[in-house]
Amino acid sequence: MDEDQTEEETAFVVDEVSKIIKESVEATIGANAYQHSRVNQWTTSVVEQCLSQLSKLGKPFKYIVNCIIMQKNGAGLQTASTCFWDNSTDGSCAVRWENKSMYCIVSVFGLAI
Amino acid sequence: MEEYNSGSESSFHSEEADSIVKECIEGVVGNDDYSQSSVNKWTAGIVERCLTQLVKQGKPYKYIVTCAVMQKTGAGLHTANSCYWDTTMDGSSTVRWENRTMYCVVSVFAVAIA
Repeated sequence: MDEDQTEEETAFVVDEVSKIIKESVEATIGANAYQHSRVNQWTTSVVEQCLSQLSKLGKPFKYIVNCIIMQKNGAGLQTASTCFWDNSTDGSCAVRWENKSMYCIVSVFGLAI
Repeated sequence: MEEYNSGSESSFHSEEADSIVKECIEGVVGNDDYSQSSVNKWTAGIVERCLTQLVKQGKPYKYIVTCAVMQKTGAGLHTANSCYWDTTMDGSSTVRWENRTMYCVVSVFAVAIA
Protein backbone atom coordinates (compact mmCIF):
# COMPACT_ATOMS: atom_id res chain seq x y z
CA MET A 1 0.00 0.00 0.00
CA ASP A 2 1.37 3.38 -0.98
CA GLU A 3 1.81 6.08 1.62
CA ASP A 4 0.75 8.55 -1.05
CA GLN A 5 -2.86 7.46 -1.32
CA THR A 6 -4.95 10.38 -2.41
CA GLU A 7 -8.48 11.02 -1.24
CA GLU A 8 -9.73 9.11 -4.25
CA GLU A 9 -8.63 5.85 -2.72
CA THR A 10 -11.10 6.30 0.08
CA ALA A 11 -13.91 8.09 -1.75
CA PHE A 12 -16.95 6.56 -3.39
CA VAL A 13 -16.15 6.56 -7.10
CA VAL A 14 -19.41 6.46 -9.02
CA ASP A 15 -17.93 5.44 -12.39
CA GLU A 16 -16.10 2.50 -10.96
CA VAL A 17 -19.18 1.26 -9.16
CA SER A 18 -21.35 1.78 -12.21
CA LYS A 19 -19.00 -0.37 -14.26
CA ILE A 20 -19.08 -3.14 -11.66
CA ILE A 21 -22.88 -3.09 -11.69
CA LYS A 22 -23.13 -3.25 -15.48
CA GLU A 23 -20.74 -6.18 -15.67
CA SER A 24 -22.60 -8.09 -12.94
CA VAL A 25 -25.96 -7.58 -14.61
CA GLU A 26 -24.72 -8.54 -18.05
CA ALA A 27 -22.94 -11.61 -16.78
CA THR A 28 -26.05 -12.81 -14.94
CA ILE A 29 -28.96 -11.97 -17.20
CA GLY A 30 -27.29 -10.73 -20.39
CA ALA A 31 -29.32 -12.15 -23.23
CA ASN A 32 -31.88 -14.12 -21.20
CA ALA A 33 -35.61 -13.59 -21.48
CA TYR A 34 -37.74 -13.02 -18.37
CA GLN A 35 -38.53 -16.35 -16.72
CA HIS A 36 -40.49 -16.44 -13.52
CA SER A 37 -38.78 -19.59 -12.33
CA ARG A 38 -35.29 -18.14 -12.63
CA VAL A 39 -35.68 -14.54 -11.67
CA ASN A 40 -35.21 -15.23 -7.96
CA GLN A 41 -31.84 -16.77 -8.68
CA TRP A 42 -30.91 -13.86 -10.98
CA THR A 43 -31.59 -11.11 -8.47
CA THR A 44 -29.62 -12.99 -5.83
CA SER A 45 -26.74 -13.56 -8.19
CA VAL A 46 -26.63 -9.93 -9.36
CA VAL A 47 -26.47 -8.56 -5.81
CA GLU A 48 -23.94 -11.12 -4.67
CA GLN A 49 -21.65 -10.54 -7.62
CA CYS A 50 -21.82 -6.76 -7.21
CA LEU A 51 -21.12 -7.03 -3.51
CA SER A 52 -18.11 -9.28 -3.92
CA GLN A 53 -16.59 -7.04 -6.60
CA LEU A 54 -17.20 -4.02 -4.40
CA SER A 55 -15.61 -5.56 -1.35
CA LYS A 56 -12.62 -6.52 -3.49
CA LEU A 57 -12.01 -2.81 -4.03
CA GLY A 58 -10.73 -2.81 -0.47
CA LYS A 59 -12.13 0.60 0.44
CA PRO A 60 -13.27 1.42 3.99
CA PHE A 61 -16.98 1.29 3.14
CA LYS A 62 -20.09 -0.57 4.17
CA TYR A 63 -22.23 -1.39 1.10
CA ILE A 64 -25.89 -1.95 0.39
CA VAL A 65 -26.82 -3.35 -3.02
CA ASN A 66 -30.42 -3.39 -4.17
CA CYS A 67 -31.66 -5.07 -7.37
CA ILE A 68 -35.11 -4.95 -8.96
CA ILE A 69 -36.07 -7.05 -11.97
CA MET A 70 -39.38 -6.39 -13.64
CA GLN A 71 -41.04 -8.09 -16.58
CA LYS A 72 -41.92 -5.77 -19.47
CA ASN A 73 -45.64 -5.82 -19.87
CA GLY A 74 -46.68 -2.21 -19.84
CA ALA A 75 -46.88 -1.75 -16.07
CA GLY A 76 -45.55 1.45 -14.61
CA LEU A 77 -42.75 1.26 -12.04
CA GLN A 78 -41.40 4.16 -10.04
CA THR A 79 -38.58 3.93 -7.52
CA ALA A 80 -37.14 6.54 -5.18
CA SER A 81 -34.55 6.54 -2.44
CA THR A 82 -33.39 9.03 0.12
CA CYS A 83 -30.41 8.91 2.43
CA PHE A 84 -29.45 10.39 5.75
CA TRP A 85 -25.67 10.19 5.81
CA ASP A 86 -22.45 12.11 5.54
CA ASN A 87 -22.50 13.91 2.19
CA SER A 88 -18.77 14.34 2.01
CA THR A 89 -17.83 10.67 2.31
CA ASP A 90 -20.85 8.58 1.34
CA GLY A 91 -22.29 8.02 -2.11
CA SER A 92 -24.66 6.03 -4.25
CA CYS A 93 -24.96 4.83 -7.82
CA ALA A 94 -28.00 3.50 -9.67
CA VAL A 95 -27.94 1.72 -13.00
CA ARG A 96 -30.99 1.05 -15.16
CA TRP A 97 -30.57 -1.80 -17.61
CA GLU A 98 -33.04 -3.45 -19.96
CA ASN A 99 -33.36 -6.04 -22.64
CA LYS A 100 -36.34 -7.09 -24.74
CA SER A 101 -38.30 -8.78 -21.96
CA MET A 102 -37.29 -7.15 -18.70
CA TYR A 103 -35.97 -4.15 -16.82
CA CYS A 104 -33.28 -4.39 -14.19
CA ILE A 105 -32.52 -1.56 -11.76
CA VAL A 106 -29.53 -1.88 -9.45
CA SER A 107 -28.63 0.64 -6.74
CA VAL A 108 -25.47 0.61 -4.70
CA PHE A 109 -25.07 2.72 -1.55
CA GLY A 110 -21.62 3.12 -0.01
CA LEU A 111 -21.22 4.43 3.53
CA ALA A 112 -17.81 5.32 4.83
CA ILE A 113 -16.71 3.66 7.99
CA MET B 1 -35.28 7.72 25.63
CA GLU B 2 -34.63 5.14 28.30
CA GLU B 3 -37.19 2.43 27.67
CA TYR B 4 -34.71 -0.43 27.28
CA ASN B 5 -31.36 -0.16 28.94
CA SER B 6 -29.94 -3.43 27.71
CA GLY B 7 -27.32 -3.83 25.01
CA SER B 8 -30.10 -4.01 22.43
CA GLU B 9 -30.15 -0.23 22.34
CA SER B 10 -27.28 -0.34 19.94
CA SER B 11 -28.93 -2.68 17.47
CA PHE B 12 -31.55 -1.88 14.91
CA HIS B 13 -35.20 -2.50 15.86
CA SER B 14 -36.89 -3.57 12.68
CA GLU B 15 -40.41 -3.79 14.19
CA GLU B 16 -40.35 -0.10 15.03
CA ALA B 17 -39.17 0.72 11.54
CA ASP B 18 -41.92 -1.49 10.04
CA SER B 19 -44.67 0.40 11.80
CA ILE B 20 -43.17 3.76 10.90
CA VAL B 21 -42.99 2.74 7.26
CA LYS B 22 -46.59 1.43 7.15
CA GLU B 23 -47.91 4.66 8.58
CA CYS B 24 -45.94 6.71 6.08
CA ILE B 25 -47.18 4.68 3.10
CA GLU B 26 -50.77 4.90 4.24
CA GLY B 27 -50.43 8.58 4.92
CA VAL B 28 -49.13 9.31 1.43
CA VAL B 29 -50.89 6.79 -0.81
CA GLY B 30 -53.74 5.34 1.28
CA ASN B 31 -56.63 4.43 -0.97
CA ASP B 32 -55.53 6.23 -4.10
CA ASP B 33 -55.45 4.42 -7.43
CA TYR B 34 -52.25 4.15 -9.43
CA SER B 35 -51.77 7.33 -11.43
CA GLN B 36 -48.70 7.94 -13.55
CA SER B 37 -48.82 11.64 -12.94
CA SER B 38 -48.81 11.26 -9.16
CA VAL B 39 -46.49 8.36 -8.66
CA ASN B 40 -43.35 10.46 -8.73
CA LYS B 41 -44.71 12.62 -5.94
CA TRP B 42 -45.75 9.54 -3.96
CA THR B 43 -42.41 7.78 -3.99
CA ALA B 44 -40.62 11.00 -3.05
CA GLY B 45 -43.18 11.70 -0.32
CA ILE B 46 -42.95 8.20 1.14
CA VAL B 47 -39.15 8.15 1.35
CA GLU B 48 -38.93 11.63 2.80
CA ARG B 49 -41.60 10.99 5.39
CA CYS B 50 -40.04 7.69 6.47
CA LEU B 51 -36.62 9.27 6.74
CA THR B 52 -37.88 12.17 8.83
CA GLN B 53 -39.65 9.82 11.25
CA LEU B 54 -36.60 7.57 11.54
CA VAL B 55 -34.22 10.44 12.18
CA LYS B 56 -36.56 11.77 14.86
CA GLN B 57 -35.80 8.66 16.88
CA GLY B 58 -32.43 10.24 17.54
CA LYS B 59 -30.41 7.02 17.26
CA PRO B 60 -26.77 7.07 16.08
CA TYR B 61 -27.52 5.69 12.60
CA LYS B 62 -27.17 6.66 8.98
CA TYR B 63 -30.30 5.68 7.04
CA ILE B 64 -31.12 4.71 3.47
CA VAL B 65 -34.77 4.42 2.50
CA THR B 66 -35.82 3.08 -0.89
CA CYS B 67 -39.31 2.80 -2.29
CA ALA B 68 -40.67 1.10 -5.41
CA VAL B 69 -44.26 1.58 -6.56
CA MET B 70 -45.59 -0.66 -9.27
CA GLN B 71 -48.91 -0.72 -11.06
CA LYS B 72 -50.82 -4.02 -10.83
CA THR B 73 -51.03 -5.42 -14.32
CA GLY B 74 -49.83 -8.94 -13.81
CA ALA B 75 -46.16 -8.24 -14.48
CA GLY B 76 -43.64 -10.04 -12.33
CA LEU B 77 -41.42 -8.00 -10.03
CA HIS B 78 -38.49 -9.31 -8.01
CA THR B 79 -36.23 -7.39 -5.69
CA ALA B 80 -33.12 -8.49 -3.80
CA ASN B 81 -30.80 -6.73 -1.37
CA SER B 82 -27.39 -7.65 -0.17
CA CYS B 83 -25.39 -5.79 2.47
CA TYR B 84 -21.77 -5.70 3.48
CA TRP B 85 -21.72 -4.25 6.99
CA ASP B 86 -21.47 -4.93 10.70
CA THR B 87 -24.12 -7.55 11.38
CA THR B 88 -24.22 -6.88 15.12
CA MET B 89 -25.17 -3.23 14.87
CA ASP B 90 -26.63 -2.61 11.42
CA GLY B 91 -29.97 -3.78 10.17
CA SER B 92 -32.68 -3.46 7.59
CA SER B 93 -36.41 -3.81 7.26
CA THR B 94 -38.58 -4.27 4.17
CA VAL B 95 -42.31 -3.62 4.04
CA ARG B 96 -44.51 -4.85 1.21
CA TRP B 97 -47.80 -3.04 0.94
CA GLU B 98 -50.57 -3.13 -1.65
CA ASN B 99 -53.94 -1.75 -2.48
CA ARG B 100 -56.30 -2.46 -5.35
CA THR B 101 -54.20 -0.96 -8.12
CA MET B 102 -50.59 -0.96 -7.00
CA TYR B 103 -47.82 -2.56 -4.99
CA CYS B 104 -45.41 -0.60 -2.85
CA VAL B 105 -42.14 -2.03 -1.50
CA VAL B 106 -40.19 0.09 0.96
CA SER B 107 -36.80 -0.90 2.40
CA VAL B 108 -35.04 0.83 5.24
CA PHE B 109 -31.34 0.24 5.88
CA ALA B 110 -29.75 1.50 9.10
CA VAL B 111 -25.99 1.63 9.40
CA ALA B 112 -24.49 2.41 12.80
CA ILE B 113 -22.18 5.34 13.18
CA ALA B 114 -19.06 4.20 14.98
